[in-house]
Amino acid sequence: LAEVLPPSLAAWLTFLLPMMGALATPLVARLGGRVRDWFAVAVALISATLATSMLPLALEGFSRAYSFPWIPVLGINAGVLVDPLSVLMATVVGWVSLLIFIYSVSYMEGDPGLTRYWFLMLFFIGSMQLIVLADNLLLLFFGWEGVGLCSYALIGYWYRDEEERYVGRLGHVALGVPQAYSPTHAGMKAFLMTRVGDLGFLAGIFLIYASAGTFEFTALARDTGWASALERHGLLIPTALLIFLGAVGKSAQFPLHEWLPDAMAGPTSVSALIHAATMVKAGVYLVARVAPIFYAASRAVGGVDAFFQTVAWIGAFTAFLAASQALVSKELKKILAFSTVSQIGYMMLALGVAGLSLSFVDGFTAGFLHLTSHAIFKASMFMVAGAVIHVTHTRFIDEMGGLSRSMRISYLAMLLAGASLAGIPPFSGFWSKDAILASVLGADRLPLKPAVYLLASATALATAFYTFRMMGLVFHGVGAGHAAGGHAHPREPSPLQWVPYTLLALASLGAGILAPLALEPALVEAFSKHLAGLGIEVVGHGAALNPLALATSLTMALAGTGLAWYFYVARRAEPGRFLRGPLAGLYTFLENRWYINSLYYRVFVYPVAAANAWSYGAVERGFFHRLNDGVAGFMVVFSRLGNWFDLHVVDGVVNGVAWVSSLFSLQVRRLHTGLLQQYVVAFVVGVLFVLLLLLMLFGGA
Amino acid sequence: MLLAAGILIPILGGFLAYIIGRSSPRAAGVFSFMLLAVSSLLFLMANYLYASTVPAAAGPPIKAPEIQVYREQYDWRPIGRFGFLIDGVSFPFALTILILTTLITLYSIPYMVHRIQEEGVEDVGPRMGLYYLLYLLYSAGMVGSVLATNLVEFYLFYELMLIPSYLLIAEFGYGDRNRIALMYFLWTHVGALVLLAGLLTLGLSAGSFDIPALNTAAVPEFIKSWVLLAFLIGFGTKLAAFGLHVWLPFAHAEAPTPISALLSPAMIGIGGYGLIRFAVQLLGGSVAYTTSLYAISAWGAATMVYGAVMALAQSDIKRLLAYSSISQMGYIIFGVASGQFVGVSGSIFQYVSHGLGKGILFMMAGVLILQAHGLRDIGRMGGLAGRLPITATLSFIGFLTIFGLPFLAGFHAEWMIFLGAFTSPLYRGDWARLYVAAVALGATALTAAYTLWTAKRVFFGELPRHLEGVREAPALAWAPMAVLAALSVLLGAYPGLIAAPALERLKTLLGGIVFG
Repeated sequence: LAEVLPPSLAAWLTFLLPMMGALATPLVARLGGRVRDWFAVAVALISATLATSMLPLALEGFSRAYSFPWIPVLGINAGVLVDPLSVLMATVVGWVSLLIFIYSVSYMEGDPGLTRYWFLMLFFIGSMQLIVLADNLLLLFFGWEGVGLCSYALIGYWYRDEEERYVGRLGHVALGVPQAYSPTHAGMKAFLMTRVGDLGFLAGIFLIYASAGTFEFTALARDTGWASALERHGLLIPTALLIFLGAVGKSAQFPLHEWLPDAMAGPTSVSALIHAATMVKAGVYLVARVAPIFYAASRAVGGVDAFFQTVAWIGAFTAFLAASQALVSKELKKILAFSTVSQIGYMMLALGVAGLSLSFVDGFTAGFLHLTSHAIFKASMFMVAGAVIHVTHTRFIDEMGGLSRSMRISYLAMLLAGASLAGIPPFSGFWSKDAILASVLGADRLPLKPAVYLLASATALATAFYTFRMMGLVFHGVGAGHAAGGHAHPREPSPLQWVPYTLLALASLGAGILAPLALEPALVEAFSKHLAGLGIEVVGHGAALNPLALATSLTMALAGTGLAWYFYVARRAEPGRFLRGPLAGLYTFLENRWYINSLYYRVFVYPVAAANAWSYGAVERGFFHRLNDGVAGFMVVFSRLGNWFDLHVVDGVVNGVAWVSSLFSLQVRRLHTGLLQQYVVAFVVGVLFVLLLLLMLFGGA
Repeated sequence: MLLAAGILIPILGGFLAYIIGRSSPRAAGVFSFMLLAVSSLLFLMANYLYASTVPAAAGPPIKAPEIQVYREQYDWRPIGRFGFLIDGVSFPFALTILILTTLITLYSIPYMVHRIQEEGVEDVGPRMGLYYLLYLLYSAGMVGSVLATNLVEFYLFYELMLIPSYLLIAEFGYGDRNRIALMYFLWTHVGALVLLAGLLTLGLSAGSFDIPALNTAAVPEFIKSWVLLAFLIGFGTKLAAFGLHVWLPFAHAEAPTPISALLSPAMIGIGGYGLIRFAVQLLGGSVAYTTSLYAISAWGAATMVYGAVMALAQSDIKRLLAYSSISQMGYIIFGVASGQFVGVSGSIFQYVSHGLGKGILFMMAGVLILQAHGLRDIGRMGGLAGRLPITATLSFIGFLTIFGLPFLAGFHAEWMIFLGAFTSPLYRGDWARLYVAAVALGATALTAAYTLWTAKRVFFGELPRHLEGVREAPALAWAPMAVLAALSVLLGAYPGLIAAPALERLKTLLGGIVFG
């Protein structure tokens, strides 16, 4: 295969084709709406195939960059990097995208803005694959901002901001801050909040370039002098953390996590692709790309443990924070969004502990495995959620119920994918979560390791609970719509919708069965070669199964599931009793997102707006405009003084100008002779000033 | 001859345009377009066909062997030589000016006819003729000033762009236009005089007014500090740097919109050209320059932040864009103050990308005025993406160019500026400037905020009832925007078109050290 289609070409086309496809979309749309939709699907299919064509090479540990000079004066090249990490990621992105594209064809049918939709979706795949395949930080940043743009534009896709498109419950206010947002507000919030992280990322990139003179990953790994140069200034760990800040923003980790729940204002297919399966993983990918380089390069100067510790801690804390909010959320998509934030926290945790243990490859593989399994099951769950929201005409789970009868296939798909999320064996989510817990236990240099482990375990419990709370409220019991005599008649969506999510749900089961047998070993092998290429030798891969981790993940998954089953599926007890009683305070706290969202508005948004208004009033109008008026007043006095010049010196000049003007009957003369006089006066005074200055200067010399 | 002809054609042709305009206002516009198109063509020929390779001029501290320049000179005794030069520094500036002025002649046709009729003038012709005469003089002044090779010549062209632009505001502007035009004139003219003082002092003490023949090494250090101060005040006024900026929001908001689309994107940035050509190139080695870098970069950062904060507080679309320009000029000052060749090249790129982006956005403001009965209040806008799909799409490219999105021109300016700003202090152990760089980086978040927020308020949300009848602008109005948008995309992919000559040139002037 590699002979027919060299990996260099495949890699370039993997991201260039969708980008060109995006540009072609408006043209193809002229051939008809269906043609346009299927054109986009076809492009996604080709791109995914191209990515997969590199897979056999990559699994052998192949690693090579293909680049051409981009800004030669600075020695900056643009290129693609084909190695196990990039190809595996590109494959996952490609196929998940394809399935969501197929789903979109039916799900978005009839929307008037579909050309824009497909343009952005295709451009998204192109940018995402660019992130994955870029061989240097600067080019990666292109893709990085490209997906940010698509995310922004697709969250605000329904730009008319109709009320039914809002995210959050209208009227819900916490600390005086409204908690419901319009699509365009949510889009802007997402772009700005991630931008904060991006600034750190950019600063980090520049600090690296300033010391290495290159942006390229392979060069940074090969010649590690830059790390010691940075260390001399005490900047090595800050640089790593600045880059991590970019990942924190993009992957919605604490403290930049607040944009993702509100990003659910976009179409559900967008939430599935961008805000669950792919883009939000870009941060994880960035850490996976850069962290080993830092790890290997910093060994000569004492390592970057503080960096890995921060990554691990932020991951663990975010996992817990978001899972706790998913426990009480009433919006179907928001539950899934909190869950995404939480699961990405796990991935960060895995990458963090990788650098703190003897065997880097364990945590690294665990992180990537979880990334993959999450992409599969979460995309599936989002697509089911989209179908459910579509037929029930509501986004709130307390207005749903009883759908398991009318939407059999969707129910089963959600059940399979949900079991994976909850971490029930043998689904893929169980193995990947277990691998993360095991690698936490293997991290020797992680401070407060028991606390981290506790957080991760508590998160596992919460995850299982909120998953089955959601399942119970949506699919079991009596449908609220029916009870109220509503006009919703739930039924299965078109096969174009249910086939993709059912396939993914089955894949999470299949991957789960394969995980311990084939998948995990293959990944470990590929990544061992990958890391070895970066100079990280693999020290005896730890035991695949850690009994303590295994026991913990089993217990937590089953306990959480059982508890949720009791309350929400079997409905043996009314949870409201607790929630209105002893747990009311906690419930409000969680429902208001720990008040973090409100605090951000109170601390950053409102004061900045007030400060702008204040400084415009006090500084600009209060001082500078007055200064301007003062100058104007002076001007009047000045022009009166200028009369003397007018009479004695300037008249001749002005008459000359007037004569020239009259030749062309310019109207300038009528209006502006007076002003021209002032001009000349100003000019003469100016020249005098110059002469004075010259005299002063040369008198001194 | 190419460049001399390129500048004389619009000056002389302007009077013809005036006469043509009396009988047919549209023909005057098309004629002006052709004049400037010919100028642009001559300019491109000069740069791409007739440029020659010369040894790099002396410049501290490291020399590259040779650079590409195009130069023509005419005897101009006793002042020196009257010449024109295209090199990596002047090329991007002149190119941007020519592109903008050429395109906006077309944009002006529908807009100015509307504008003049709005004033109640029956016979549009003579007014259009006058408009194009002033317009062409103004354009020639801008191009001449960035190509000039002599200090006095530079000043002459500098004044040539000032006077017609003043008359354009006073004759065709909005609001309290006479007063505003006068204030515009006064501020920039006083700035120009201070600059003149600096130019003359430098020329007299260095023994020549011709830039290539200037021997700055012989000039005493204290004179250099005074000259630098004069340059900073002079160009700072033109750039509307913080403290010297108050004239700009008035002038740019109340000028007729096509002229706003030249003032902001093309003219004020010439102050940045001046800083690079005169402060960096001529005084780059002086103690005054190196010691004041810290103050200049802080000044640039302050301008970035202040302009952006003011933009966030505006409700008038043109004033908002005007304040945004102040902020964007802050980027230029900040990049120049890196004192490092990538950073300074970033400033040049910033001039180009801001010219493209802000050109689009002022034209967008013009489309709103044209199509929605003089609508300027952002509070009364919304949902216009549905009514103005082409304008909205192009404006978005404009907003995102200012935002600094990769794939568009703006990002290249941004990373080059910040690369310079981070690397140069880092290896001097200059922590204070690193903090300034961090503040400036924060300003880019403010920029992101006002661009996205403005786009949202104009184009998204509910469509107010009074805008339901709005229709898409005529092609003459959106086609120039489309060209600028395409250029922004092109430069996003191939930054080298602008960056490579600038980097090569500045490398010879400032030394090619990227990293320590």
